[in-house]
Amino acid sequence: MQLRKVNDWLWEIPREGGMKVPGRVYSDGMPAPDDPALQQVANVAWLPGIVKYSLAMPDIHWGYGFPIGGVAAMDAEGGAVSPGGVGYDINCGVRVLATRLEAAEIRPRIHDVTAQLYRDIPTGVGSSHAIPRLTDAELEAVLAKGARWAVGRGYAAGSDDLERCEEGGALAGADPPAVSERARKRGADQLGTLGSGNHFLEVDSVAEVYDEEVAGAYGLLPGRVAVQIHSGSRGLGYQVCDESLAQLAPAMARYGPDYAAIPDAQLACAPISSPAGRLYLGAMQAAANFAWANRQVMTGLAVRALCHALRISERDLGARLVYDVCHNVAKLEEHLVDGRPRRLLVHRKGATRAFGPGDPRVPAAYREVGQPVLIPGDMGRYSYVLAGTARAMEETFGSSCHGAGRLLSRHQALKLARGRSIARELADRGIEVISRGRKTLGEEMSEAYKDVARVVGVMAGAGISRLVARLEPMGVIKG
Amino acid sequence: MAPGRGGDDGAVRYALPQPYREIPHTADVGVEVEGASPAEALARLVLAFAALLAGGGAVEVEREETVTADADGDLARTAVAVLRELLYRFATERLIPGACEVVRLDGRGAELRVGFGRWDPERHSEGADVKEVTWHAAGFERAGAGWLARVLFDI
Repeated sequence: MQLRKVNDWLWEIPREGGMKVPGRVYSDGMPAPDDPALQQVANVAWLPGIVKYSLAMPDIHWGYGFPIGGVAAMDAEGGAVSPGGVGYDINCGVRVLATRLEAAEIRPRIHDVTAQLYRDIPTGVGSSHAIPRLTDAELEAVLAKGARWAVGRGYAAGSDDLERCEEGGALAGADPPAVSERARKRGADQLGTLGSGNHFLEVDSVAEVYDEEVAGAYGLLPGRVAVQIHSGSRGLGYQVCDESLAQLAPAMARYGPDYAAIPDAQLACAPISSPAGRLYLGAMQAAANFAWANRQVMTGLAVRALCHALRISERDLGARLVYDVCHNVAKLEEHLVDGRPRRLLVHRKGATRAFGPGDPRVPAAYREVGQPVLIPGDMGRYSYVLAGTARAMEETFGSSCHGAGRLLSRHQALKLARGRSIARELADRGIEVISRGRKTLGEEMSEAYKDVARVVGVMAGAGISRLVARLEPMGVIKG
Repeated sequence: MAPGRGGDDGAVRYALPQPYREIPHTADVGVEVEGASPAEALARLVLAFAALLAGGGAVEVEREETVTADADGDLARTAVAVLRELLYRFATERLIPGACEVVRLDGRGAELRVGFGRWDPERHSEGADVKEVTWHAAGFERAGAGWLARVLFDI
């Protein structure tokens, strides 16, 4: 793979063959030219209607069609929509809650806190029934209203949760009837459940603040307790993506030579304006709403669990949503392209929206400093809170990285974990972890992941996001 | 390994455990199987999937069902379609295949008789939480005198 250095943080894959635009990869040092993810960046550049660049964030790795860490913006009228550019876990994302609690006071009680969270929030394979199984009408409302549905039923941290959620916690274009019966069956009893794998709920300390002004605006004070929730649309979203891929892949040639020529079948796509494209978008947006409702329900459950474990009132807990971001989504957004506003469908697959200061789409409370960008790390090290920048708006359609990415396969990680007690190793470092699956801790240990500090360092170095705070885990629950 | 047993209609019934290889992949899990015939390879692929779900734990067959999947004559697509159907059963009813015979495998798709057992949180605690059966890297081709089939699962 040919790579041309643009600057210390940015490399370009020159246009060739059927690529409509160049590829651009953010990286500390030259990316490995034989990395298959780079070929995926080049393949994405073939998609009809793609604007400016096929982008890759520094946590890029090989995915299905689109690389994970990929960003591609398509002309909203003439461009393509690709389920592979969103991913199976539609609106997998993360939220951070700030609290009034001091980490030093909570640490001696972290076992009780973590155990209560584990009891109250279903995790792992088969996890269900956090709340009573949704009726058909309730599920329809969830798919339409997203987080608002959950807030309406009392699942909240504060009164302004929805303002502090990307898109207010719901995409307006959702089309609940586009979500199949099968997808509904998979999701109906999973609202309020964490899932498994790299999903988690953490009780963190705000370990370091890099930008006092921005951290203060976000409500993140040094030494305070924060809570992170990382989860998505569960079985409902997976089914929507799966069915869409099955429908779109065999039909691409009917949209003309540009579609027929796309080099990877996993880049199954359709014109945004086509019936198939609109059907996917409507279902995807509804699934995204399910994910927001999911994280909102877990927020309510987490608040109650913390109050119960610590025997304090919600007022004393002082929980407040800092922000909620999507990592896997495609959204219609307006961006300046060559000085002119254009309506684009921005695919972010393993990438986070990072809108800069002054943007009206950033909550009023944060408009002066930029949107919070939440970047989870692994359970043994740290996570980061960044802020979006004007440079991100210019270069990446207001997008940043999303996490660390795996270094080892699950098999390799389990081999490395053999004979070790990962729970004990974490406990010795002051981290209480409870997981449902016997293999989870081995599969998810720190050595299995890249260092997220390097990933955010690239974004900061490139001016795409500003470092605001580092969170470190005290208690973790996993599936 | 449980050997296949012939049925009245010539279909051979295979039961857990069946041999399979894990395909190295950083984020997800892949399996690869061999078979003397396409039917044997498909049956072993089904049971490799079952072994992932069960985490190596035993599956006690409680009921028999016919599972069909339509596909366009491509064996890899047929295999993915079959596994998608079985994943749906697992996701919604917590059923895991414990035995399988391929009754039909042709240009229209496949029909299987599957002996299902119920997922048990204790016995199957090391099972994988499979999110989806992916199309990428799915393969089903002749290999020497036999057949080789592989699939990647999103975990």
